Amino acid sequence: MKNQPKKNSATPLIIIGLVLIIAIGGGFWFYKSSTAPITGVKPSPGKKTPENPVKSTDALGAQPPHMLGSPTAAVTIEEFADFQCPQCAAKYPMAKEIISAYGNRIKFIYRNNPLAIPAHDKAYSAAVAAEAAGLQDESKFWAMENQLFTNQSSWTAATDFPKILEDYAQKIGLDVERFKNDMAGIVAKNRVDADLQRGRGLGVNSTPSFFINGKAIPFEQVEITMMRQIIDAELLKAQSGSTTNQPAPANGATNTNTTNK
Amino acid sequence: MSDSEIINQELDDAPAPKLPMAAALVALCGLADAVYLTIHHYAAEPVPCGEAFDCASVLTSPYAEIAGIPLAVFGALAYFVAFSLAILAIFGNRATWKLFGIQVVLMALFTFWLLYLQAFVLKAFCQYCLISAAVTLTLLIIALASKFWRSK
Repeated sequence: MKNQPKKNSATPLIIIGLVLIIAIGGGFWFYKSSTAPITGVKPSPGKKTPENPVKSTDALGAQPPHMLGSPTAAVTIEEFADFQCPQCAAKYPMAKEIISAYGNRIKFIYRNNPLAIPAHDKAYSAAVAAEAAGLQDESKFWAMENQLFTNQSSWTAATDFPKILEDYAQKIGLDVERFKNDMAGIVAKNRVDADLQRGRGLGVNSTPSFFINGKAIPFEQVEITMMRQIIDAELLKAQSGSTTNQPAPANGATNTNTTNK
Repeated sequence: MSDSEIINQELDDAPAPKLPMAAALVALCGLADAVYLTIHHYAAEPVPCGEAFDCASVLTSPYAEIAGIPLAVFGALAYFVAFSLAILAIFGNRATWKLFGIQVVLMALFTFWLLYLQAFVLKAFCQYCLISAAVTLTLLIIALASKFWRSK
């Protein structure tokens, strides 16, 4: 056994104290010297859980929402996503599979939730671009969504993002001049902001966040098998007429359809 | 030299001081890594990330926070406690070395969970998380080595 120098009993505490001071002090020093503004998304107190589902009083989001499936379907799936978020792009095929598998048995709503973090520097513009596309035709929103998610890796680090967006606009058959105007205008931005507000109210602080009939789905369950199980269970509930949970009106004020059959 | 021999006799059952020393140094690396990630989290700055990694995906995932507190904060606390326990052990405190062993086993279990999440749920890795995993597993090896040597 190696010999050990004798130390008085205060020495370890001094070492520990020094490390603590260096860790905290150094941490603050680096933090202060960082020039980046603090724009991180703050967790909202309204975090939704299965026990705390979406209520009709929650912020409505953009009206009308981007919706696929049937507006009168018994199961509403609402996705909050960020076009620059890698996990959102990774879950995009799953969302598409659900939409095509369930067709009119579900109502699928897409909500913009661009995260205000520097790593997602193009997320807000991307959301505005999709909304601007949607202003020309609802199908163009989904076409732009498809372009943004499927080509995410090629634009996320690009320096000429506006040019790339115009290329996508041309590719999906938009009037490019109008698209550019709409991108600069307030309508598309207002829609993104309305969705963001809804997300904030529901406690969405990471993307993608899925809600099925108003209940937040934990991220580990956001994969095709689990999602299908949850949707099937909700469909069964609606079919048997034993539903006690009134599904939330995810499309808010315009939702005049009764989702319960 | 005679003084230190006396101490070594008193600490007959104590771990070889080399191991707590190594543990303290390794824990410091983990502390630096976790503090770095904590700063970047609160400064809302993206971390420099290697080609083969996808740090943003991991660090902005729903698993990167517990109750709104980034995991890096918990990591920094854990490494600081591990460091402190190891330092106290260097100075002959056997009880803290036992606590160190228990803590490191718990940390390793959590690390395996985080590695699983990166590999199978997020399908993305971040090098800072892997450094942290390597640090924790090294601490586990040190704790196990100490147990093995002492039981001989």
